[in-house]
Amino acid sequence: MLSFIARRLVNMLFLLIVVSFVGFWIIQLPPGSILDVQIQRLRMQGGSLPESMIQAMRERYGVDDPFYIQYWKWIQRSLQGDFGTSFETDQKVAERIYNRLGISFGLSLTALLFTWLVAIPIGVYSATHRYTWPDYLITFIQFLGLSIPGFLLALVLLIMASRLWDQPIGGLFSPQYADAPWSLAKVLDFIRHVWIAIVVLAIGATAGLTRIMRANLLDVLNMQYIQTARAKGLKESTVIWKHAVRNAIHPLVMALGTTLPALVVGETLIAIILSLPTIGPLYLDALRSQDMYLAGTILVMLSALLLIGNLLADLLLAWVDPRVRLE
Amino acid sequence: MANGAIGTATATTGARVVSEDDVIRVEDLKLSFYTTLGVVRALNGVSFNIPRGKVIGVVGESGCGKSQTGLAIMRLTPGRIEGGRILFREFNAGEEIDIVQLDKNGPEMRKIRGNHISMIFQEPMTSLNPCYTVGYQIEEAILLHQTQDKAEARRRAVDILRKVGMPNPERIADSYPHQLSGGMRQRAMIAMALSCTPTLLIADEPTTALDVTTEAQILDLMRELQHEIGTSIMFITHNMGVVAQMCDEVAVMYLGRIIERAAVDDIFYDPKHPYTISLLRSIPRLGVARGQKLESIKGTVPDPYSTVPGCPFHPRCPAAIPGLCDAVMPDEVFVAGSRTHTVRCHLYT
Repeated sequence: MLSFIARRLVNMLFLLIVVSFVGFWIIQLPPGSILDVQIQRLRMQGGSLPESMIQAMRERYGVDDPFYIQYWKWIQRSLQGDFGTSFETDQKVAERIYNRLGISFGLSLTALLFTWLVAIPIGVYSATHRYTWPDYLITFIQFLGLSIPGFLLALVLLIMASRLWDQPIGGLFSPQYADAPWSLAKVLDFIRHVWIAIVVLAIGATAGLTRIMRANLLDVLNMQYIQTARAKGLKESTVIWKHAVRNAIHPLVMALGTTLPALVVGETLIAIILSLPTIGPLYLDALRSQDMYLAGTILVMLSALLLIGNLLADLLLAWVDPRVRLE
Repeated sequence: MANGAIGTATATTGARVVSEDDVIRVEDLKLSFYTTLGVVRALNGVSFNIPRGKVIGVVGESGCGKSQTGLAIMRLTPGRIEGGRILFREFNAGEEIDIVQLDKNGPEMRKIRGNHISMIFQEPMTSLNPCYTVGYQIEEAILLHQTQDKAEARRRAVDILRKVGMPNPERIADSYPHQLSGGMRQRAMIAMALSCTPTLLIADEPTTALDVTTEAQILDLMRELQHEIGTSIMFITHNMGVVAQMCDEVAVMYLGRIIERAAVDDIFYDPKHPYTISLLRSIPRLGVARGQKLESIKGTVPDPYSTVPGCPFHPRCPAAIPGLCDAVMPDEVFVAGSRTHTVRCHLYT
């Protein structure tokens, strides 16, 4: 068990190095650099830009170095915990990410929890009441949830929230709470701001997960051991929840592994629409302006989350199903 | 018609058919499946009894309704019971309960299931839940019906595992099903089924999926435990060899009806129904001259969605009487000179 985890961790380290190298290479592929973006911005602010100043910036950003030297500089400092400075804002990369990481995680974890709590019972109900009208209704809503794009739903909810229910839209806090210390009123204000994001994030995932749960459970309910459990005289609810669901939950656990990075950037489009300061929009901006250090760091972070997520899913699966062996 | 037959039988030999000492009496049981393709009449008036402490073989081709009869007694069949009674008597001279009248998921039925009547299935490889240890799954039944004490349940589970001939039962109890072989799993299933010392054990082709050596061991084991515990067994199989080895009495089923019922010797040495005769002729035997062709029953089982007028076997029957067999359903009657051998055929009326 421990040796399995150790081996996986070593593999992960190797993979992360490869991913960071390839990622860094791809990020710098498009023509131009962060320097062009900066020069253009300064020009638009007016004033002439002397050649000497451009030259100074060139040297400071190191944009003329070949990319492997840039990579080496960045990775060297990253290993010491310094992920570099964002070109765009002169803030530390770590600081920019850190500011948004909490919100990203909080939002997505809430949505994930919500998804599981809703999807599993509904999927189970749907499977055990197959071909009854509640099942048809659930199926209908599922397809609706799957086919409506999240950003569209977000827009619709935004309009409804502001027109019908007089709710605040966009951002995390109302102005009066933005800098206030935490209090019950502030928490309520926060919930009023983010519920749309959580609902939108959860609905698409719930619809998909419910379908998977229903299909799996239907398979498992045909298994002989379900009949055996019934033949013992167990209650139907025990048969379902103890003997069937545990065997039907594998794909959900496996899916959890890939969910972790999706949790952090999956909400990009929705976060942009709802103007929530999460990692997703930051990542997009960094890529567009070729903010190498920022984009590279987020990329490596996401890869690490994917690998950790898969490791956790494997461990969880071994715990759920004794047939899975960690070798 | 079937009612009439039972009526006459009761009148002539009340001693056997309505014996006080029957564990189960099935009377005119009808079971149907409603599918999108039509109605399948799986059981068309099945009547038989299982005497206390005896092993009854139920034989027939695939699809004749033998498994559904077993599942109907457990009230685990997905089909709809449309008529008839299943009378269960736990103790000799005790009260009779009509299982058909019980709510199939209600507390009374659940108290019978796994406790007074238990069942073993055909597929030992998939009959145990892969997520729980063998011991846990046996304890589950014991905790449900016998005792609340977990340590006691564990002790009994290990005990019964030892009884079914498991080497090192403590270790087996802590094993998961995938760590055991098919024969071991079927032993574990038998242990689970017998853990509450049931009055009736329904064994639905328990050895079909096993190799011959393992089959012989499992059959020996079941016979041994049957003598020890005194459980009645309803042994569902299509293997006449197994019937000869295991059973006291035999009921032959064809298309949802019992067409012949007799003591095991009578079935093998004096079969009456043309179907039973053909069934026995289609078994390869040692000592029969080489090169002689094995007989087969001509034709196939009719399409389950259709109904056959008259005797259901007449399209395949070598002795069918035109105008009678294809029009009138024969009643169940006693074979001349016997009080135990019944047959449902116009040749004997």
